[in-house]
Amino acid sequence: MKATIFIISTVVIFYLMSLLHKKYSYPYLLPILTSTIILIPLLLILDIPYAEYMEGGQYIQHLLGPAVVSLAYPLYNQRHLIGKYKYTILSGILIAMISGLISVFLISLLFKLEDSYILTALPKSLTTPVAMQVSETINGIPPLTAVLVMIAGFVGALLGPFMYKLGKITSPISRGISMGSASHGVGISKLKDYGEEDLSIGSLSMGLSAVVGAVICPVFVWIFF
Amino acid sequence: MPQYMQIIRTIVQILILYVFYYMGVFVIEVTHLPLPPSIVGLLILVVCLQLKWIKVEYIQDGAGFLIGFMTLFFIPPMLGIIDYPELLSVKGSILIGAVIISTLFTILITGILSQKIGKKEMAMKEENVRGEDTLESNHLHH
Repeated sequence: MKATIFIISTVVIFYLMSLLHKKYSYPYLLPILTSTIILIPLLLILDIPYAEYMEGGQYIQHLLGPAVVSLAYPLYNQRHLIGKYKYTILSGILIAMISGLISVFLISLLFKLEDSYILTALPKSLTTPVAMQVSETINGIPPLTAVLVMIAGFVGALLGPFMYKLGKITSPISRGISMGSASHGVGISKLKDYGEEDLSIGSLSMGLSAVVGAVICPVFVWIFF
Repeated sequence: MPQYMQIIRTIVQILILYVFYYMGVFVIEVTHLPLPPSIVGLLILVVCLQLKWIKVEYIQDGAGFLIGFMTLFFIPPMLGIIDYPELLSVKGSILIGAVIISTLFTILITGILSQKIGKKEMAMKEENVRGEDTLESNHLHH
């Protein structure tokens, strides 16, 4: 009974927040963000432990598996985009994955963070569903990873354009690759302002990074931990 | 197509996607590779699509539905954050700072390098095209 209530209220809140986002499409009104911000205080005020919520929540979460598999569909549809800039896109994604992993690893070492925190931060540039599953695979803390992924997305969307100016990055291909592979869906929503080519290369790069990152992250962990 | 047919179609396609997901789970259970099972399922599906073993039409409605609602599915795992209040501690803020700096660094370095590589790739392509042209015209002269 309780489980059903948790499922229904999660879906209803998500639905209402999606309507809100459809009406005012600001990045900080993303349904994932607003729904979480409503649900967290609700759970705390009503004194519902997370484990109890998950008696219902697990059924929603279970769909994440086939949902990640579904990402094969847009990836397959966008395969023609790879053609002309094959080497640029593939090497760009590798550069992004490696520089993202090494930089967050070195900063964390510098501040002597525990391993569990570093492992949690490593998948931050991947799209949320994949990042959480990678986090689980490498023994990070998946919900904490999700929050860091959101932060990486917002940083890209808000400060990415400043990096483009700083690095004199003017080609749509490199804007798309760098945003898609560092700041996933939230970041590439900003690319709409630049143009169609930026956006499509961005979403292709996000998909490819998810796959490449899901492989590289565990290898990186295997080497350094 | 009547609407109930569309619903059945979407459900059947989601079941097909589940089959690929469980293939991924199976591969991971057998090989013990440190990879998320869903990513393995994704790769198997991409290969099947590429080899035309499975038609895009068999999965596109189900995939479109799941992708459309994807963010809903990660709300429950994300709420797990309530069991980790340490995000609001000093260590949590350092972690957030590390993610911010690393993300900006990644965008900058990837943008600069991919722009350089992109120019090289274009130049190489143009050279190849020109090379083929001269080859062809030489051929014609003989």
